[in-house]
Amino acid sequence: MPSTSRLSWPHRPGARRIAGRTAAGLAGAVTLSLLAACGGGSPSPAAAGSSSASASASSSATLVAGGSCKNSSATKITFWAWVPGLGRAVNEFNKTHPSICVTQEDVGAGSPEYVKIADALKAGSGAPDVAEVEFDELPSFEVTHNVVNLVPYGANKYKSQFVPWAWKEVSQGPAVYAMPGDAGPMAFYYNSKLLAKYHITPPATWAQFASAAAALKKADPSAYMTNFAATDLQWLMSLMAQDNAWPFAYSGGSKVTINWTGPAQMKFAAYWQKLISAKEVNGTSDVSATSFADMDKGIDASWLSSAWGPSYFAPDAKQSVGDWRAAPLPQWTAGAHVAANWGGSTYPVFSQSAHKAAAATFAEWLNGTTASWTITKTAPSSLFPTFLPLLNDPTYKNITVPVSGSSHPDQTFTAAAGNIQGVPWPPFMTEALTQSATVFAGVLSGKETLAAAFRNFQNVLANYARQQGFTVSG
Amino acid sequence: MNGTVTGPPRRPLPLRSLLVQSAWSRRRDRRGFWFIAPFLLFFVVLMLAPLGYAIYTSLYTTRIIGGTVFTGAANYTQTLESGQFWSGVIRVIIFAAIQIPVMLAIAFFFATIFDLGVARYGTLFRTIFFIPFAVPAVVGAVMWSFLLEPQFGPFVHLANSLGFHGTDYFSSGLILPTIIVIVIWEWTGYNMVILYTALRSVPRDVIEAAILDDTPLWKIILKVKLPMVRPAIVLLVFINTIGALQLFTEPLILYYFEPQAISTNFTPTIYIYNTAIAGGQYNLAAAAAVILGVVIVIISVSSLFARRRRSEV
Repeated sequence: MPSTSRLSWPHRPGARRIAGRTAAGLAGAVTLSLLAACGGGSPSPAAAGSSSASASASSSATLVAGGSCKNSSATKITFWAWVPGLGRAVNEFNKTHPSICVTQEDVGAGSPEYVKIADALKAGSGAPDVAEVEFDELPSFEVTHNVVNLVPYGANKYKSQFVPWAWKEVSQGPAVYAMPGDAGPMAFYYNSKLLAKYHITPPATWAQFASAAAALKKADPSAYMTNFAATDLQWLMSLMAQDNAWPFAYSGGSKVTINWTGPAQMKFAAYWQKLISAKEVNGTSDVSATSFADMDKGIDASWLSSAWGPSYFAPDAKQSVGDWRAAPLPQWTAGAHVAANWGGSTYPVFSQSAHKAAAATFAEWLNGTTASWTITKTAPSSLFPTFLPLLNDPTYKNITVPVSGSSHPDQTFTAAAGNIQGVPWPPFMTEALTQSATVFAGVLSGKETLAAAFRNFQNVLANYARQQGFTVSG
Repeated sequence: MNGTVTGPPRRPLPLRSLLVQSAWSRRRDRRGFWFIAPFLLFFVVLMLAPLGYAIYTSLYTTRIIGGTVFTGAANYTQTLESGQFWSGVIRVIIFAAIQIPVMLAIAFFFATIFDLGVARYGTLFRTIFFIPFAVPAVVGAVMWSFLLEPQFGPFVHLANSLGFHGTDYFSSGLILPTIIVIVIWEWTGYNMVILYTALRSVPRDVIEAAILDDTPLWKIILKVKLPMVRPAIVLLVFINTIGALQLFTEPLILYYFEPQAISTNFTPTIYIYNTAIAGGQYNLAAAAAVILGVVIVIISVSSLFARRRRSEV
């Protein structure tokens, strides 16, 4: 199954990450029905596990919910999203809001959906009223003035209900361009049996992490402390954010700062390059059949994972079921509590919408009410909230999952959710994600250093941004 | 050639009959027009109009900041100076230089076997050989990707059992040979059928004469039959070269299996696709598409001239 999660061009790692935290969620995130269909009948172990879930996998435009509303005079709202099981919330909304009728369609996860929206916006009609848009992609729609400021529609009264960083990432000055949805706070997710075998404790700092990686390599040459997925840009940038080495500055408009080559970025690159060169981290792609197999077999001792990680890994976990624990990310400064976010979605209203108020009402209800979260937190949606009432709910924190035994990984993830700094995404993440697979490919194979890839990426992005009319500073 | 085409030499026609004939032919033209109208409609709407629109689009630049402005040849100069575009072109030329000769050799080998009639159930085997061509390229590429998948693919296990440990068909060094193998698998049957048909049309008396002269079989194949089917081979080289320059589906599908293996400019068409879809630079992509089109036209026309000089057309 995980090999199918890579299905989208351009490379959209994020598309899968928001989709949910269950195997069914994974199948729902499949962008093209191509491999979902294949996976159903394929004997390949890579596709195993998807067969049961592929029924819920999306085809190119599937009507998910709201096909029929009782009130024919209700205001009609079109909603595009790919999270599996979200239709349950849509139906609940339609039931409790008879004057509005929301129809949900699944036109693809991530990039395929953005391309369709962008084309519709360009064409002047055909865009949805509301859509699921990842955090990193939202500024791309803001810069073209295609999303509506939700403040006149009462968005600000929900502000106190959300973790501040999530609210910050959907805001631009006083304007709020989307309702924040789910998120993916990161943690050090580790094989407790493997580390205990070599008397390694979960590292509290990155310095300890490096020495633990060296110790593990010495004790077991076939094992790695973790895998370093250089080609997964969103993952890489999340780790950079935690190191205060975020490579962009952007606050709307035509000025953007691109900085992959500053001292902080180069320090980050040097730290990881040392581990890569010493072969103390595994250079494979992440959220893949390979990486999950390596984790299960005890080759990768940990995964710098997100809150949705355990459930993505769970279907591939066999011999290591019950051994996986979550600890806070190692810190760059001892004693600090800095977390990072990896993945998550927002729900903007598009400027083309003929019923902006009704669309805003839906987006606000979907993300800012307990009634909605009661549904979306459960499988197959299994969304990790940015919504504080649920985030602070003790029963939510104490959920157990078989892969993590009797531990409570969500205690770590919910704690991390409060320690995240919002980041300014550049308004051209689709291009960045597409180019990254090529630029960082050499790091995985050992043909180029991370620092060299950073310098190369700096040029690629700066050239692109200039061509697009931005004033670029480095 | 043999007189049936040219006919007897004509006397110059008197003026009146010339006028009548041209008037008649003008009327015939008009009636003929209605016969070709359906084709012409689709040709204009689906070929000429998009082509014109692509050229028109390529002269403008739409930026995120600043909107759409006329930029003339800027997109063309940018593409022509772009190492990304040309490295893709060079890659497909290398691809074509290896794939086409290997595939044609295999296709000719099997076409000859079927032509000689030494294989039993020839029709059955010809059909089996042709089947990969009937499989859509997407399906074929997905199938091969599963077979070659580094983690579970049976071909990796095969390589391991043969002593080639750690073989990764999707690694940067092997990805092009991998695609060559996939494309050869897909297209050999098609090429074989064309060569087989050409071999069948070689006059029997020529072969019989060769046999009577005690010419060895390999000489009959290489010195008699091969030269006589050369026009078919030239045609296939030409068709396959154009196909290679437009290589798209196979690397696109492989990308889904191993994103690191296929760069954003792996082939010119993938570069065009990514420039338009991921980068949102539709104008730049249009210019690159026009340039690729021109490259293909140049190859086509030069091949046509080469064949005409040898009076094969």
